[in-house]
Amino acid sequence: MRKLAAIFIATILAAAALLSSQGEQARLFIKNATIIPVLGERIEGGGILVEGGKIKAVGKALEAPADAAVIDASGMFVYPGFIDSYSHFGLAEISSIPATTDYREIGKENPELRVVWAINPHSVHFGTGRVTGTTSALVAPAGGTFPGISALVRMDGWTVPEMVVKEAATSFINFPMTPRPVGEGLTVQKEAKEDVTSKLVEKIRDYLKEARRYLELKKAAAAGAGVVAPEYNAKYEALAPVLDGTLPVIVSVEKAKDIELAIKFVQDEKLKAIFRGCAQGFKVADKIKQSGIPVIIDSLYTGPSEPEDGYDAPYRNVVELARAGVLISFSSGDSPAAGKDLPYHAAKAVAFGLPREEAVKALTINPARIFGVADRLGSIEAGKDADLLIAAGDPLDFRTEVKHLVINGRAIDMANWWETLYEKFKGRPEK
Amino acid sequence: MKLKTAAFGIFAALLVIALSGRLPAAEKTVLLKNGQVITVSGETIAGGDILVSGTKIVKVGKGLAAPAGAEVIDLAGRWAMPGIIDAHSHIGLEGDVNEMGALLTPEVDCRDVINPKDINIFYALTGGVTSIHTMHGSANPIGGKGIALKMRWGKSAAELVFEGAPLTSKWALGENPKRSNMSGMGPARYPRTRMGVEESIRDEFEKAKDYLKEWAEYEKKARAARYSKGKITPPLPPKKDYHLEGVADILSGKLWVRCHAYQSEEMLSIMRLCREYGVKLVCFEHGLEGYRITNELVQYGVAIATFEDFWGYKWEAYNTMPQAASLCAKRGVLVAIASDDAERMRHLFNDAAKSVRFGGATEAEALRMLTINPAKILGVDSRVGTIEPGKDADLAVFNRHPLDPFAVCEITMVDGAVYFDRAKYLEERKKTKDEAKKKVPEKKDGGEV
Repeated sequence: MRKLAAIFIATILAAAALLSSQGEQARLFIKNATIIPVLGERIEGGGILVEGGKIKAVGKALEAPADAAVIDASGMFVYPGFIDSYSHFGLAEISSIPATTDYREIGKENPELRVVWAINPHSVHFGTGRVTGTTSALVAPAGGTFPGISALVRMDGWTVPEMVVKEAATSFINFPMTPRPVGEGLTVQKEAKEDVTSKLVEKIRDYLKEARRYLELKKAAAAGAGVVAPEYNAKYEALAPVLDGTLPVIVSVEKAKDIELAIKFVQDEKLKAIFRGCAQGFKVADKIKQSGIPVIIDSLYTGPSEPEDGYDAPYRNVVELARAGVLISFSSGDSPAAGKDLPYHAAKAVAFGLPREEAVKALTINPARIFGVADRLGSIEAGKDADLLIAAGDPLDFRTEVKHLVINGRAIDMANWWETLYEKFKGRPEK
Repeated sequence: MKLKTAAFGIFAALLVIALSGRLPAAEKTVLLKNGQVITVSGETIAGGDILVSGTKIVKVGKGLAAPAGAEVIDLAGRWAMPGIIDAHSHIGLEGDVNEMGALLTPEVDCRDVINPKDINIFYALTGGVTSIHTMHGSANPIGGKGIALKMRWGKSAAELVFEGAPLTSKWALGENPKRSNMSGMGPARYPRTRMGVEESIRDEFEKAKDYLKEWAEYEKKARAARYSKGKITPPLPPKKDYHLEGVADILSGKLWVRCHAYQSEEMLSIMRLCREYGVKLVCFEHGLEGYRITNELVQYGVAIATFEDFWGYKWEAYNTMPQAASLCAKRGVLVAIASDDAERMRHLFNDAAKSVRFGGATEAEALRMLTINPAKILGVDSRVGTIEPGKDADLAVFNRHPLDPFAVCEITMVDGAVYFDRAKYLEERKKTKDEAKKKVPEKKDGGEV
């Protein structure tokens, strides 16, 4: 059966290659599907026509064009491909081996670094990370105060430019964090006093002030105001779109107290911010809602920020943020090896009370909105990019197999590192 | 004399009670009724009941009547399974679990550092975990002794110990004892290769054999001296060496060996070594490449306590797949899904569900990987791991089937006592919150509070 499917896909790919080599746009038709467009009503027994990488038509009464490759999705469910809102895909192969990791640069201030310079499009983690339905991901740099500039990429492509949805998706500021208390019996870490955190925030403000001054001087010099242009500074240059609010900035922040400080910071500095983490967001959910700042939820393989928050705080946090009306999205977090767990986090939140529909949105249209690509991704609508997942059941259920992925209009090869090992070693004769 | 009489009296009374099938008044009886009882040992019973007396399960079936005075817990269709057992954990221990100063440390014992206040014991309960094997770290080819604990949250260190469970010896192969992934840990230390790791164990076995021989000779001479009527001077005993005593306990099979290993070839090597010295090798910890040598693992009779899908963090954890647990189980290897991590521990039931998707484990097999299989690895399968009369009343109750992605653990019972009850927990939280609200004094305009 698997072989048949493989041959079938291979035929599609061959047909696609043939058509595109002839300079024509490959057409793909998905039939007999239960379609969950996310925006709009669910369609039973529907069809999706894909052409030129875009969704051409969606509906019940569609017929497959004669030249289109066809995927029969009888009994299957089609969703917009999931979007992973924070990952290191393509920047880390084996986390303990420095030669294979490229997401953390030396130094604290690196706002000019771009992950698109370093992504390995053939990392095994793209192949294993998408088996549960992820079709695009924010690839983020990490470390220091200003780690650099992320890219929003598709989970498939021969080269980075082919994968890129948004080459410069967001900048980052790692907000100073009040440390977590350490468990009983260990050295008890004293909580940093608020003024320590505030002092660190002041340092960031100072840095931004310097950048602003640099940009103003440069502008003044260019306008012939008689000032000498400052020496070129790549770091301040990179902060220009952050300071004028055109490049969103992801601010990592955990504790309630820090979140309040971060809201004030973001508002004072007039940044277009996205929060990441917000482990104690549930304590200040209304304030986050009021600020209009969306929140990227980190991996839910995590304990409460403080024991007093309750054992279920990470899940409850998601529920409370959604209830308050905060725009939330899920992410697989720091390890690309755990990339396939993206829908797992959503399911965990649903188990603890997040409405399922909200969870699906937080994997699709919400991240598309947060990253400013809702005109292209996040729902199944004519005119949008054809990034789709076709699953045998509920894609939030980690027992469900995602049968096909359409990325950028192509039904991609689902083979991956795990399958390679599995196929080989299940073939060893038993004794 | 009086004491002896009294003791005999009590013993006789207990015997009479036991034989008559009546329960001592102190034994609390609990009936969990109307649930979906996943027995693991047999079929799942829809609309099933579990009768618990004291610390034990006494009856499992349908339509059981509540004895007089029994507490009744209405499961209302919820799912009850045997308490989850985590075969590989480091929680409930005070501080660091790695002995960095020496290469081989069989003399150290986790029982000396049990920390009953570790909040992770409570978190374990919230994920349906009732027993664990907590162990020494993996910095040493032969590390310290480990022990099975029950998650009796709130009890003393001594009371956490799973009575009767065999003591274990933690071994470690590969990158950790090689210190491949450590920098700034001081000067390089032997061994730096897998060859050196194995040799360091083999070498120690020979030393321990010599040590045992020395003692045997001493015993022989001492015996001869005792019966010589003063003709032979009694010999001086050899110096007691707790380190080598630890190794000797490995050689005698008193300690069950739990060997941290990733690569298939080093597992094969260590199996040869253990066979040669007659060591009781029970389980490979992690064993992420175990799927490559299922024939050999089955033949030897060694289990694996593995991750479902934690991988890729180091070279030796790279050549694996989430299908591995299922593939091993299908081919007859005794597989437990373990956590090695306080956080992953409370997601174990989800991990087992993933093995259904990857590699196609049956739901029954997936559940065994959480219960009876780790119980066997820990040597406590006569006590826990299934829901059967005579077994300890260690249970986890979920609002949905435990392999359902939306399942939440609602009740966890150890020895017939409820240690975690989500409904009560939420109630308490609400109460505390309401009280806190009441305590906030009203703010008056302009004034200090």
